[in-house]
Amino acid sequence: MLTRLLRFGPAVPRLISSQPVRFVSRSKPTGAAGSAAVTDLHAPVDQGGHAEADPYVKNRDFHGFSSDPEVDEWNMRTAFFCGISVALVFGGFFLAYLPDHTSWVRREAERVIVEREKAGLPLIDPDYYDSSKIILPTAGEE
Amino acid sequence: MLKILIPTLMLIPAIWLSPAKWIWQMTTMNGLLIATASLIWMKKPWDTGWSFLSPYLGTDSLSSPLLVLSCWLLPLMVMASQNHMTSEPIPRQRLYITIMVILHSLLILAFGATELLMFYLMFEATLIPTLFLITRWGNQTERLTAGTYFLFYTLAGSLPLLVALLMLQNDTGTLSMLILPYTQPLTHSNWGSGFWWTACLLAFLVKMPLYGIHLWLPKAHVEAPVAGSMVLAAVLLKLGGYGMMRILVILGPLTKELAYPFMVLALWGLIMTAAICLRQTDLKSLIAYSSVGHMGLVVAGILIQTTWGFSGALTLMIAHGLTSSALFCLANTNYERTHTRTMVLARGLQAALPLMGLWWFIASVANLALPPLPNFVAEVSIIMSLWNWSWWTIFLTGTGTLITAGYSLYMFLMTQRGPIPSHILPLPPSHTREHLLIALHLLPLLLLTLKPSLIWGWC
Repeated sequence: MLTRLLRFGPAVPRLISSQPVRFVSRSKPTGAAGSAAVTDLHAPVDQGGHAEADPYVKNRDFHGFSSDPEVDEWNMRTAFFCGISVALVFGGFFLAYLPDHTSWVRREAERVIVEREKAGLPLIDPDYYDSSKIILPTAGEE
Repeated sequence: MLKILIPTLMLIPAIWLSPAKWIWQMTTMNGLLIATASLIWMKKPWDTGWSFLSPYLGTDSLSSPLLVLSCWLLPLMVMASQNHMTSEPIPRQRLYITIMVILHSLLILAFGATELLMFYLMFEATLIPTLFLITRWGNQTERLTAGTYFLFYTLAGSLPLLVALLMLQNDTGTLSMLILPYTQPLTHSNWGSGFWWTACLLAFLVKMPLYGIHLWLPKAHVEAPVAGSMVLAAVLLKLGGYGMMRILVILGPLTKELAYPFMVLALWGLIMTAAICLRQTDLKSLIAYSSVGHMGLVVAGILIQTTWGFSGALTLMIAHGLTSSALFCLANTNYERTHTRTMVLARGLQAALPLMGLWWFIASVANLALPPLPNFVAEVSIIMSLWNWSWWTIFLTGTGTLITAGYSLYMFLMTQRGPIPSHILPLPPSHTREHLLIALHLLPLLLLTLKPSLIWGWC
């Protein structure tokens, strides 16, 4: 039953672990120079010539965009430039410095009220448009 | 409005006239430039009013974040699809991107519409390109069932809406969103008004989706190719939420009585879908059900019709759009390597692909609404608003949030931690393209943490 805890990996106490521990180096003890080779954890599987073509063989700097190296390079450059530099940096700058109208509206209203009260004018005109400028058709016309 | 719409439509001739090897690069670059230009919509002369008005189109604080999200998503969809489409013939690749651009233009018209009937037409019109994406380019046989469910669930919900809108046009003489708030609200509480109220909302509840009429979503999201899943999760669900927020203005005080069954379904759905997620073996299905749960919270936030409810709902829609789309992209990176969506078959990937593990981590914690991300801000706004509406809801929302955290962590641990299965052939390393794709999802989300007022709406 306790082995069900094993699904959470090496965090489980080693006492109930029956799996081979993986953090012990499996490379052969070497001389003073040391070897840079790392032993494979899983033996390479022979796929009999049906393996997927590795794009990194043809293009060491494959970025994932295209098998053509020139297109791949340019796609990467434009995607990063337009995505990061233009959209996120420039766009983010634009959004960060958008004026904050909520506080402006409040301050402007208070300022206009003070100004109008001092001049003795009504605070707001009930007509949105100047009624003298509205031309209405006469009753007889269509 | 046209400044963004015309360049988007002009992408279509550009796709068909470009040399074959440059179509993806060209579309990505232009899509990102259009997305940058779309940020102009975030500039509002005042908070509640309409801007960029023309006779048919306009933006306000509710639609501009959703419009920017749609515009941002198009180049991301193009980048996500680039790899799995390499084996297709060139004309079919051009067709694929064209369908994405058409879908995107319809979404701009839908979110920018100032008249309800135009919004309805565009809402329906987006079904067709999405259906093409799912049924033509999905990977499994089940894509046909998925397309059928997707199309007919939404159509069945929206035909009553058409009738309801035409009745409203007949009564009030207008369907303009600018004028409808000032018409007489619906006050009768007879059966006819009840049906009319339900007819108005049903389409959007199916689209959201509400738990109970959500069956189309796991099928559609799972069977769609990555671009289809991205646009479905990030934007098309939000069409439902946006429609609900617009139509509730005219549904009057009737909502206070009639919303109860839908509130119950939404909150219960949050818990049920979260529980289903804990039992999922299919990664994309898990992410799809998580969308249902989050949208249940959005539905609840909208139906209580309070300031914080609406604000939380809109914020959650944007934040969830970015998060869910990022998760689908991450699931696709797994799928392209292992050709399976089963989580146990692609485990322990942090050891093999550590930087992708970082993106998985950020996306998972965003999904479980970790503060100070906007997901958290949104969920807490909605939960607090629901608490104010009825304190019993805290049991439902609390349990739902708890299980959400549970399955998000489960998804992260299952895919990233643990032993790598021995049957996996050596995994190709992560591409620059994939890192950029996820970064362009998550960096805006992190940046929104600094200024969430951009996506709050009217508050």
